[in-house]
Amino acid sequence: MNIRQKTFVVFLFLVLAVLPAIPANSTFSGMVRDYAAVRLESLDMPVHEQTMDAFYEHSTDMGKLTLHPVVYSNPNKALQLNLAEAYFDFYLENADVRVGKQKVIWGEAEGAFITDLVSPRDMRSFILADFSEIRKAVPAIKVDYYAGPYTMQGIWVTHFIPTSLPASNSMWAQTPTLPFPPAITSVSFTDSAMPETTLENSEFFLSLGRFGNAVSWKLNGGYVFTDEPLASEVTAPDPATRVISQRYERYSFIGGSFNTALGGLVLRGETALALDKPMNSLDTSKNPPITIEKHTQVQALVGLDWNMLGSQWSTQYLMVYTHDHTASLVSQMKPVKEFAHTFTFRMQDTFFDEQLTVRLFTYIEVEPLNTLLRPSISYNFGNGVLLEGGLDVFLGDKDGTFGTYASNSLAWAALRWYF
Amino acid sequence: MKNHKQHRRIFLVLALVLGMSALFAADYSGEQVMWEVYNRDSGDTMRANLIMTLTNARGSVRERSIVQYRMDKEGVESKLMFFLSPNDVRNTSFLSLSYEDGRSDAQYIYLPALKRVKRIASDSKNDSFMGSDFTYDDMGSRHPDLDTHTVLRKELIQEKSTLVVESIAKGDEDYPRTLSWVVEGEWFGLKKEFYRQDGTLGRTLSIEAFEEVDGIYVITDMIMKDWEKQTSTRIQMKEVAFNLDFDDNFFTERQMKIGPRG
Repeated sequence: MNIRQKTFVVFLFLVLAVLPAIPANSTFSGMVRDYAAVRLESLDMPVHEQTMDAFYEHSTDMGKLTLHPVVYSNPNKALQLNLAEAYFDFYLENADVRVGKQKVIWGEAEGAFITDLVSPRDMRSFILADFSEIRKAVPAIKVDYYAGPYTMQGIWVTHFIPTSLPASNSMWAQTPTLPFPPAITSVSFTDSAMPETTLENSEFFLSLGRFGNAVSWKLNGGYVFTDEPLASEVTAPDPATRVISQRYERYSFIGGSFNTALGGLVLRGETALALDKPMNSLDTSKNPPITIEKHTQVQALVGLDWNMLGSQWSTQYLMVYTHDHTASLVSQMKPVKEFAHTFTFRMQDTFFDEQLTVRLFTYIEVEPLNTLLRPSISYNFGNGVLLEGGLDVFLGDKDGTFGTYASNSLAWAALRWYF
Repeated sequence: MKNHKQHRRIFLVLALVLGMSALFAADYSGEQVMWEVYNRDSGDTMRANLIMTLTNARGSVRERSIVQYRMDKEGVESKLMFFLSPNDVRNTSFLSLSYEDGRSDAQYIYLPALKRVKRIASDSKNDSFMGSDFTYDDMGSRHPDLDTHTVLRKELIQEKSTLVVESIAKGDEDYPRTLSWVVEGEWFGLKKEFYRQDGTLGRTLSIEAFEEVDGIYVITDMIMKDWEKQTSTRIQMKEVAFNLDFDDNFFTERQMKIGPRG
């Protein structure tokens, strides 16, 4: 056990030691997890981390305070203590107000982000032990107003928070292949320029929804920044070098989602229209070689959930269409297609009085054909102790979102304790 | 000869008793009994703490704690459950809406880790409720029109006079035949047997305790035994309260996220 892991264990015991001192109108709960993964190709162990994910909630007459600290201990990294969320809820008669650093989840899609654009993503690991950890909290004021079955939601994100991308030395980092002439021997990206913290640079979201027995629906819209940076300028400090600077650009979107029951099926749908969404166009035969263009983009998803043979099943189809498409369009320096099609498939079954759970989650990208297969199994010992194991298998074309990580296929195991 | 006469006398008495029972039982049709059960006063609203104890075939025991809220209003039975323990399911909530007019139930689950309320397929009525021996159907009020009902006989259970009602499902069910022991006049069940499609006894629900709260009979302790799996689930109800005031937003997505407080 190295010094970081010892520190983590000492911290954990300290936290548990103060549990009895928690006041009566407060709760302290959470999860401790040990997660290790082995790469199938190289048999190295790129991930072995301990996590403590805790929630402290304190209720008062006015509302509830929630603190959500997370501690990661990884042999190859410094001990990370992160206040993932910190907010206060005011519960009024017909409205709720949440103020602070919070995660907001929108939409009906599973494992895809269509109108779910309030909270950016933490993509540093690409594959996470828990999908719930993919979202980053934003400093925001959120107001929900209720009128019968209708809910009006307004969100003001005071400071823009971008998606976190993998570090350049990460196994999940993507090295873009830029078609510069051979004479250009060095191409580098500068750190992304963050927008100034001004009212003008705030993000705004609005949603109107109805929670209905026949159909539940939501209409959403927002004025946002691109969560990932765009290449904004190319400079040439010398003839063989190109330096690409990056910044975040603004756009607006409107969309909606719904769910309804069709007999024993649950039908879900979600769509978003991004208006004048900024994208990069890369053509090294032109000057400047990289420009920012604005294109309308449509994302649409339809999903079905059902029970069959005692198991839960789910499938989704996601289509992305980019209007006025040209071959030079790129996103994160990877080509953007006019039409992109993705399918997901999920199956879950339980055995032995729900103690043993078997799951399979799959992403399939059609063109180029590539996939991520995530079979897993978990055993619940009761009292909040779970043992899990699984595979994350990347297959298919190297140009695909998942096929590009073919050498990163993993076998993993985790032990969790919920307290 | 004396023995023979005694046997005849016993037979006559038994026949008389059974005949009278049949006559008495015939005062109610099976449909009437089950509609009485369905329409029994169970309070417009209710709150209770549930302790669910699951015992597997090897005798090992797991416990779950739930707080449950119910409201009957305008032909809709709304039920909201918050899971308090074990810790891995804490703050998960489950909302079901059952309709008197026979429409399919609507069911939703809130998963706190994902911060998302999901509609779930409602044909899961035969599926296990939280890994227990109860099904989702057992946790709600089964609509009488889903079965045909016949009163078979009258029996005394726990010093209560009960009518034994046979119910045959009209649709496809895991347990197409059930027998219910319904307390006459009070219209709550004291026992229920679930028979599988091959006619064998699959499960037995037995009522261990009931009490009167605010003039309403409440089952406070019941055990479901699965004879095939040799497992059992006990549900104990505590701190039962009726006729509480819930505001219009209580049985909604909002409360599922807020939790039992607030």
